[in-house]
Order: sequence, then structure tokens, then C-alpha cells
Amino acid sequence: MSEFLLSGLLNGLAVGSIYALIALGFALLYKSTKILNLAHGELVLFGGYLAIALTRAVPFPVAVVLTLLAAAVLGFTVERVIMRPLFGQPLLSVIIVTLALGYVVRGLMVGIWGGSTRNFPQVLPGGIVRVAGIPIQPAGVYSAVTAACLLLGFWLFFRYSLVGIAMRAAANDQLTASTLGVSLRRVFAYAWAFASIAGAVGGILLGLWLGVNFALGFVGLKALAAVILGGLDSIPGAILGGVTIGIIETIAGGYIDANIIYGFKDITAFVVILLVLLVRPYGLFGTEHVERGRSMWNDSEIPGTRDRGNGGTRKNPSDRVAYRGNAA
Amino acid sequence: MSVRPAGDFKTSYVQDMAILDTRSYRLGFAVLVAGLLLAPWWAGRFIFLLNTIGIYAVGACGLGLLTGFTGQISLGHAAFMAIGAYSSAFLSQALRFPFLIALPVTSLITFLFGVVVGLPSLRIKGLYLAIATLAFQFLTEYALIHATGGIGSTTVPPIVIGGWTVRTDRQFYYIVLVVWLAAGAFAANLVRSRIGLAFMAVRDRDYAAQVLGLDLLYYKALAFGIAAGYAGIAGSLWAHYNRLITTEQFNIGASIDYVAMIVIGGLTSAWGPHLGSAFVWSLSQGLQIFTPAVLAVFPAFGKIATPLREIVFGVTLIALLIWEPGGLAMLLRKLKRKLDLWPFAY
Repeated sequence: MSEFLLSGLLNGLAVGSIYALIALGFALLYKSTKILNLAHGELVLFGGYLAIALTRAVPFPVAVVLTLLAAAVLGFTVERVIMRPLFGQPLLSVIIVTLALGYVVRGLMVGIWGGSTRNFPQVLPGGIVRVAGIPIQPAGVYSAVTAACLLLGFWLFFRYSLVGIAMRAAANDQLTASTLGVSLRRVFAYAWAFASIAGAVGGILLGLWLGVNFALGFVGLKALAAVILGGLDSIPGAILGGVTIGIIETIAGGYIDANIIYGFKDITAFVVILLVLLVRPYGLFGTEHVERGRSMWNDSEIPGTRDRGNGGTRKNPSDRVAYRGNAA
Repeated sequence: MSVRPAGDFKTSYVQDMAILDTRSYRLGFAVLVAGLLLAPWWAGRFIFLLNTIGIYAVGACGLGLLTGFTGQISLGHAAFMAIGAYSSAFLSQALRFPFLIALPVTSLITFLFGVVVGLPSLRIKGLYLAIATLAFQFLTEYALIHATGGIGSTTVPPIVIGGWTVRTDRQFYYIVLVVWLAAGAFAANLVRSRIGLAFMAVRDRDYAAQVLGLDLLYYKALAFGIAAGYAGIAGSLWAHYNRLITTEQFNIGASIDYVAMIVIGGLTSAWGPHLGSAFVWSLSQGLQIFTPAVLAVFPAFGKIATPLREIVFGVTLIALLIWEPGGLAMLLRKLKRKLDLWPFAY
């Protein structure tokens, strides 16, 4: 039993560190743009598939660098083409648009790479590594180490670099940061690029471990569970949440899978989401939201309901159209 | 087109409350209903498409009430449809309920599920509610797979009303049509009633609605219940139509389709869900016809053909949200206004 627990803990830690990295992208994006990116799983897939495709042509390290560059470009493009016109739009529009983005990215990937599982060529030493007598795949160890390094890198970036400080300022209070000369547009663009990069790294690491297929897209939802657990706008929370989800999934999910009911591992994340939302919706470290007046961003959650009072059932809507002009 | 008198010439409350308030509206609606009644003669083999559109329009009506009119975002609507489909299958297969009883009972069951799922919406809002309903979607799928012994599929007997067994698509179409019209009319009237006005007050600002004396818990739970009831009816029809249901028919993709339908159709319009359902299913059917035709000309197109539906879908949604968040219903209104005023700008 203790062996099972220890092995679960180590494996959970390894997979959890990858979740943490992906969740970091989630939390970063939410913190600075207030957008919950439901296409994050697709960004993870994109990283995995692109890296595999590139390793056929160039050596692995070069492929990784190119993938990260491509991910950054993808992030910038998404921000510029899709998100900027929707700046300040109702919550539902933003949720739907990220879902639609996920559809498009996924569809393009199916079109280009097909639906089957793909594996990286052998870039890591094979065999089994033993940590404290517990067998663990080397990919797990590498993943954990890489993820830890990257998390440290992100932390240093936000602590010391000018862009990082600007991003934290914008996350803290968009309006104030904007009046103090922080370009919100640039911050949003960087946030998308970093989220995309974090997702791509997660995709590569998971791909090295498990191979890349479309089931991997669900990892985006596990990262969602991690950020909900940690608190949507908390970066340390996302990291801790990711590691916790990894461990819970491996130990509790693994135990229930083997002994009680099959297939539970895959839905552990959702059980965690529901429990956290019911008990402590703002997560472990998130800002507790006190509702006071209306914020400038989510004026309304439902598109088409800005001018209140008629709810769209007015018989003659044409005067409303005239009032709003053709601005739509 | 539908010219409106410059003044307000309504002289009675009945006239003022009429949904179809001009002669051309009434005429147009009559033509529409007549066209739908005669559909088996003009739709030919595409009658199955009308069946699908009708069934999904019923479900989308419920989601329209919940999201468009009450402001509660749900990413788990297909889960209610699944619950409806499986309970309907259970009622008519195991308990031998006739369809006319199974349908309302199914709706009642899903209504209760909806109320239970809606209870946390008092505490969880907006984004968090969307995530909670997403989790509900996955948990329902999982529970259904295990409840059916790990297969997730089950068969459903055909509809029998009196001594009449519904076998063909055409016969089924009339059942769908009756339910569809009733559901649409109920939704259109509900939003004008006290309940509908309360829903809109909750949507526009829930605390303000509470200050005005509305019981938030009651109305939010009721909205979820009604939405789920609609989804249950859709699920029951779907189960009897397909005769073989699997959990994959009601996965997260179907939930997103539902949200896409109401967003494409127009969230705050009674016509929105119907337009959205018609658009979404016609688009996907159109692509199924269009793709092989293009493939015959450009074989290189083949790789992108499989996921074409997803891509076109995503692009349509993004474009619509950027340029016309009011959806098709708003586009139609704008078009009508253009035509009314033509050749003047305003």
C-alpha cells in the first residue's frame, strides 16, 4: 500500500508538474485579460503535433525552439485577429469565441496531421529510472525537471523584467495600469503568446511521455480543474493546483479505477471542479470577488442585451437599430 | 414589406398583446406553417433534415430561455438531452409506457434534474457557472456509460399512438412538427409573461431583481428546470427517432452545438433558436453534399475534408460574434429595416 502511495505520489508529481505548466498559461491569460481560454487544450495539441512534425526535418532541440516560436506567433495572431475586436464584449461571446477557436485549430490539425496517435522519435534515454526505489519513466523525470525550470523562468520574468512587471500591473488593475502608460494591447498580446508557449511546452512534454493524439486535448480541461482549484487569477495557485490535480488523479483515480469503478481517473478533474466550485468558488488562492456595482469589462454577460429594459421582445426593434446606428 | 402605420393604431389590449401584430406578419406566419405542413411533399428525402432541425430547435428553445433570457450560461445542455433520451428509452422499453405518457414524464424528470443543477447557480455565476455545467456534462456522460453497463448504447421502441405505429421519417415529421410548434409558441409566450419578465430582470442584474422582490433562487432554478424540460422533450424525440441512442450523440460537442445554435440564431429573440437550429443543421448537411463534389474536382482537398464541418463552424461563429453579436435574428431585422426605408438611408 505504501509503495502504491509513493509511486502514485512520484508519478502524480511528474504529470502534475506538466499540468501546472499548462495551468500556468491558463491563469496567466485569465489574470491579465479576464479571458478563460477554452481552446487551451488545442494549443497543447498544436505544440505536440508541430514538434513531432518538425523533428522529422530538424534535430529535436531546433524543433522545440521552432515550435515555441510558432506557438508565440499563433498566440499573437489569435489576439490580434479574434480577441481584439471582441475587447470588452460580454462574457458569453468570449467563451463561445474561444470554443470556436478550439474547433478551428483542432479541425486544421486533423486536416493536416490526421487523427491517429503520433510519437516522438527516441530522444530521451529509454528504460526505467528508479527514484527512491520506485520505478518511474525517464520522461516523467525530465518533464518534472523541465516544468520546474520553466516555472522558475516565468517567475523570474514576472519578478524582474519590465514587460513582466507591466503584465502584473495590468493584471492587478487594468484601468490604473493603462493610465500609467502600460499598453494594454501589448500586454494582452504577450499574455496570449505566453499562454500559447506554456501550452506548447506542456504538449511537447506530454507528447514525449504518452505520444500525441486528440485525447490529449482533454488535458486542457484538467488544467482548467487545476486553475479552479488554485484560484483562477492566481499563478502560484495554478502551479499548486496542477501538482495537486496530478497527484489526486494518479492516487485517488488510480485506486478507484482499479478497485471500485472503471474509468474514474479521467473524470477526477471534473469531480474536483464541482467540489471546489460548490465549497470555495474563488479557489485556494484566488481573489474573493465582492460584487459591487458593475465592472467596465463584463457590463453584460449575454450579447445583445446591452441596452436594458426590453429584453429583445420589443415589437418594433427598428428604432433600437437606429439608436445604435450601424455600429452593431 | 411589412409596412407599419406611423402611429400606434392599436385600440384594444388584445391587439396590443398579439405576437403577430400586423397583417403581413400573420400572413407570413400562415405561409410558413403551411409550408412546414406540406414539407413531406417538397422536402423529398431531406425530410430527415427537417426532423433533426425540429428536434434540436426544441432543445435550443430551452437553452435560449436559460441563456438568452435568464442570463445563465450553460455548457451542459446536451447532458439534459441525454438524460431525457435515456429516461425515455427506459420508460418505453422497460416500463412499456406509451409515447404520449412517456414524453411528458420524461420532460418532468429532466425538469427536476434541471432544478437540482440550477440550485448552485445562486452561488456560482457567470464564468464559474459555465465551468460547473461543463463538469456536469462530463459527469453525466460518464454516469450514463456506467449505467448502461459500459456500452453507453440502448435501443428504443418506435412510437405507438393509439393503434398507429410511427415508422417512416414522414410520419415522424408530423409528431416533431406538432411538438416543435407547441414548444416554440410556449417559449414565445413565456417570455412575455410574469415569469419571462422576471427572467429578464434576473439576467440584466440579479441583485437588482432581488431588491425588487423577486425570489432569485426560485427563478434561477425554474429557468434551469424549464430549459432542461425542453432538452428532455428533444431527447425523448431524438431517442424515438433514432431508435438507437449512444452517449456520443450527447457529448460536449453537442452541448457546444446548442450554444452555437442560440448564438448564431440570436440570443434574445424568440425566433433565434429556430433560425440557429435550421442554420447549423443545413450547414452541416450542405457540407456533406458539397464536400464530395469538391473532392471530385480537387482531389488535393481530401485531407481537409474530414474536419471541414468543424472549421466552417468555428469560422462562422467567430465571424458572427465579431460582426453581428445579435445573430441571424438581428441580421433579419436590419435587412427588413433596410427594405422598409429603401431608397432612403433613414
